Amino acid sequence: MPLILVGLNHRTAPVEVRERLSIPEAKLADTTYALRTLEGVDGAAVLSTCNRVEAIVSTREEDVIESVVDWLAVRGGASRAELEKHLYILRHGDVVKHLFRVASGLDSMILGEPQIGGQVKKAFLTAQELGTLDSLLGQLYENTMRVAKKIRTDTGIGEHAVSVPYAAVELAKKIFGDLRGLQVLLLGAGDMGELTAEHLHQQEVKQVFVANRSFERAAELAQRFEGEAVQFDRFEEHLAKSDIVIASTAAPHYIIEPIQVTRALDARRNRSLFLIDLAVPRNISPAVARIDGAYLYNVDDLQQVADANLGLRQQKAQAAESIVLREVEGFRKRLVAQDAVPTILELQQRLENIRAAELEKCLRKVGPMTAEQRQAIEMFSSQLVNKILHYPILQLRDGAEEPQERESLRKTIRKIFGLAK
Amino acid sequence: MTLYLALGLYALGTLAALTTLFARGKGPQYAGLGFMMAGFVAHTIWIGTICAATGHPPLTNLAETTSFVAWVVFAVELGLWLRYRVYAASFFVYPLVLLLLTTSAVVGENFAVLDPGLRSNVFTLHLLLSTLGVAGLLIGLAFGVLALIQDRALKNKRPGRLWEWIPSLDVCKNVSFRALSIGFAIYTIGLIAGVLWSYRTNAGFMDLRVKQIGAVTAWILFAVILQSYISNTYRRKRMLFVSAGAFVAIVVAMLGIRG
Repeated sequence: MPLILVGLNHRTAPVEVRERLSIPEAKLADTTYALRTLEGVDGAAVLSTCNRVEAIVSTREEDVIESVVDWLAVRGGASRAELEKHLYILRHGDVVKHLFRVASGLDSMILGEPQIGGQVKKAFLTAQELGTLDSLLGQLYENTMRVAKKIRTDTGIGEHAVSVPYAAVELAKKIFGDLRGLQVLLLGAGDMGELTAEHLHQQEVKQVFVANRSFERAAELAQRFEGEAVQFDRFEEHLAKSDIVIASTAAPHYIIEPIQVTRALDARRNRSLFLIDLAVPRNISPAVARIDGAYLYNVDDLQQVADANLGLRQQKAQAAESIVLREVEGFRKRLVAQDAVPTILELQQRLENIRAAELEKCLRKVGPMTAEQRQAIEMFSSQLVNKILHYPILQLRDGAEEPQERESLRKTIRKIFGLAK
Repeated sequence: MTLYLALGLYALGTLAALTTLFARGKGPQYAGLGFMMAGFVAHTIWIGTICAATGHPPLTNLAETTSFVAWVVFAVELGLWLRYRVYAASFFVYPLVLLLLTTSAVVGENFAVLDPGLRSNVFTLHLLLSTLGVAGLLIGLAFGVLALIQDRALKNKRPGRLWEWIPSLDVCKNVSFRALSIGFAIYTIGLIAGVLWSYRTNAGFMDLRVKQIGAVTAWILFAVILQSYISNTYRRKRMLFVSAGAFVAIVVAMLGIRG
């Protein structure tokens, strides 16, 4: 497996270094092509996200590492010595393992996050379209996407929200199921509230009402969510219409009291109401939580849900790591077997030729014999050849871990059996 | 033989589904569903055999009735699983189906050929509707319990073991309400048919045997549960006791079929 990966990520490099090397989507194709043109590179792909930049190449020469590091340093406008402090260089099986882990979200800043799978796919598809994906990288791509999918399906590692806004969306789904057709009321324009409303908007909720002390700001946000701005002092009129209420104002006191929620629930004919209080100091009276049909979560509650989910993801990551190890081994064996096929075929042909020639000589010397006698001698010669070939073939298929070791073994066997170089 | 095969498969299915409570992953759930479906096929053959042997629906004694209720309950559960993927229902419905069929096997009464005196359309209607109604009510009860568990988990902010297996609160509530409404309506018509038949044959609306008392008590308790959904008081703790009471009353009414 002559594979090399040179890169850096959020663990090895600070954002100042990562941003210098980061590749905008529009330039990904040109950059991939430039990597492929380096001497000694047979196939190339480049993965660039906000947390990592990685150059993946297939090559027959390990010297290519130096060229790739220099190329990265030039691209990042940094000295080689400065860049090397942040780089990791992986070879062969480690490249496969690394990519399987990256595509499954096991190496991400947020464990199990799903977006990385799409980014890996994008990197390889760009290379495929450019023609910089050779057969080995092509196989690596297919296996990486397959393993990432398997891990997500088998372990469910990405199923639980690990950020406060996503935890709020997940809880809303636990209450209402499908969020389409629901109405959301956003009170205030705090960052977290805005982000939560954004996530809910992405879930195709029916309507987002926005109320803010500054009506202009409310109108601006409402436009962003294709919703409706309402006067802040009249938000209660929309409380009953809303299924989800997000409070994120800077008010130093409660703006929603139990009596308002009770009135809203009565008007809603007791359909559930989900209240998300993301403000500090809190905007919704904690007494609201005691009302039947009202589900109140503040920022600490949501953080606890997110933390608990992260714990779940960590448990699932252990199962995912076992899958990665199994799949890396499987991929290695398939490649080695594939690599050894030409030599094995040549070896079999060579010994078959020797057997046929020697058998012919032997039969001529022995003279006339019965069909059974001839069959017995032929069987003996075939079995002898098979026994002799058994261990060399086994060694070619599975005899060495590292590519250099395997190449050396292949050369030795070819030399011993007199095969062409 | 087919009955015991169904029973064995239901037992394996229930066991597999319950292991999901202790082991993560959906594998045991799918295995459980597979066993239950195989059991359902065997169960269907068994019910078909009874129908063929007696020439009427298998509703004339306790063994037949419990077997038929179990069959309907699982059929409805299968439909709901296909529609909503409600994994958690398996923790309640599978053991219920197993319990009902075990009762049928333990009682072990022979196929009952209907007494000529009982052969009447009103009586058949009474048996069929009461049984279908009971199946609907039991499904409604199971989903009602799921809705209560989900409500408590959301209110207390403690997810618990069942959290990821239970669908949304609205789904639990809606399925429960629909199953209870439909089950209650069918059960009520079944009871009325029974009262009419009793009046025609015994010249009295009803007597006070165990099954009648159980059936009427169940009817009243299910009416209370339905009302709790309409008035949105189903979340209150006392509804758990009412639900348990309704379940016991239904069981008493069914056991009373013997008497």
